[in-house]
Amino acid sequence: MAILEIEGLSAGYGPVRVLHDLSLTIEPGERLGLVGLNGHGKTTFLSAIVGLTGWQDGSVLFRGEQIGGRRTHGMGRKTPQIVRRGIALAPQGDAIFPGLSVRENLDSGAYTGATWRSRRKRRERILEVFPPLAPLLGQTAGTLSGGERRMVSVGRALMSDASLYLVDEPSLGLAPKISLNLVAALLEIDLGDGAMIIAEQNLPLIEGRVDRVLGMHAGDLKLDVGEALGDVPPAAGVHL
Amino acid sequence: MIEVVISALVLASMYGLIAIGISLTWASIGMLNLAQGFIFTAGGYTAWLYAQYAEGWGLEGVGLSAGVLIFGMLGSALAGLFVGAIAFLPLQDRDNFRTRSLIATLAISLIGTQIWLILFGPQNKPLPPVFGEGRIEIGPAGMSYQQLGTIIVASVMLALVILWMRSSRRGLQMRAMMMDPLGAAVVGVSVRSTGMRVLAISGALTGLSSVLLAQVFFVSPTSGVQPLTTGLIISLAGGLGSIPGTVAAAGLIGLAEALTARYLQQSLVPFVLFAIVVLILIFRPRGLGGLLEDVRE
Repeated sequence: MAILEIEGLSAGYGPVRVLHDLSLTIEPGERLGLVGLNGHGKTTFLSAIVGLTGWQDGSVLFRGEQIGGRRTHGMGRKTPQIVRRGIALAPQGDAIFPGLSVRENLDSGAYTGATWRSRRKRRERILEVFPPLAPLLGQTAGTLSGGERRMVSVGRALMSDASLYLVDEPSLGLAPKISLNLVAALLEIDLGDGAMIIAEQNLPLIEGRVDRVLGMHAGDLKLDVGEALGDVPPAAGVHL
Repeated sequence: MIEVVISALVLASMYGLIAIGISLTWASIGMLNLAQGFIFTAGGYTAWLYAQYAEGWGLEGVGLSAGVLIFGMLGSALAGLFVGAIAFLPLQDRDNFRTRSLIATLAISLIGTQIWLILFGPQNKPLPPVFGEGRIEIGPAGMSYQQLGTIIVASVMLALVILWMRSSRRGLQMRAMMMDPLGAAVVGVSVRSTGMRVLAISGALTGLSSVLLAQVFFVSPTSGVQPLTTGLIISLAGGLGSIPGTVAAAGLIGLAEALTARYLQQSLVPFVLFAIVVLILIFRPRGLGGLLEDVRE
């Protein structure tokens, strides 16, 4: 059974329609790269999967169960239930908890169900993926640098027992070397029969290293990645 | 002087509990709960009803006292859930939730006073003394059992709540929601159920304060108004949402009230309190809490 089966998904905020009737199927074990310029709907797409848009319409089947459907208001009301089914999102802007320690932030990713009891073991695993976080465990998250915050945010998503990981712009605002390490960590994680979607503006960072790359252009998915990145040749459009 | 300090501690304990309820509610769900006075009175009347029955059964001593405290907290916790069902759940994801819920809680507060008037009449209802009658002498000054009991019970309750928020999963969820509602939703924390939990806890703290205050004053339909005002002043001065700030503000406001009442005049207390909060907010817009927390936004 497909991990995610999206059919005719439209979504937006108020009068603005961001996603136009798009469809996508993701198989177990798949790592999908989603590229596209700012403002073309990558973030809205990931948000729509967990119900974090202003309104949305269209079928979203997660392991055969409907988590989408038509919704005109109530942004985020269903998100906790959807997340608890096994979807983890590392959102744009991190949304970490500034007053909690790094340890508490990571643990918060294991709120759901039985994962809470195994949080120590899970935390160890995250520290293997992001070694720089180890000495910072007791520090207040609000005092971290941008790269450290991103690691906490992604680490929090990985703490959960999810079978679908959604990572929004892992490289945004980070120094090239840090973003390389972060993306490398994401690509090394063993997904088992789960899946991962990485939204990324910086194509070379993921090209050839994920199973499939789709372009996002004006709220629609394109197989042709060049179109999604506009007329700018990739080499000039990236900052590596 | 010692008497002033004792009196300040007693006031700080009683009003601090309400202020922390207001502060928690504001920080976690963004609702300035003006119905906190209604919730306060609900606890007082519940405790009074219990005391009526308990005395009828011939219950006295520890059983009666513990029951008064527990039923006061229970009644207020239920009133908190009731306020949540009316002013929080139906409005929570609408536009301008803050304004709408402010108006809704104000309405509950006004209507609530009338409901108490209809149900219990305008007469003051006394609660049985929870801590017994008597005094202990400490050096030159002394304090009554009531004062000592108030300080101890309020501090223990506060310590329990803080400990719970720091160490349990539910507490962690509450703090997470206060700091970033989006992040909380993303990790599976439901704003609605956590919000109701916050309202119940805030209610219970307010109910405890209601019983403690009723040891000095009476329960009446309007007995929640003045505690609400002082609670609001303290939570504002403490920087809405910060527990250490609120505790510090409770101490400061309690001391100011005790000093004013002792050396100036009881009727000047509201002026002094409001002057203090205005000054704090001019020089420290985030309240005392901003001084105490090392959070970088």
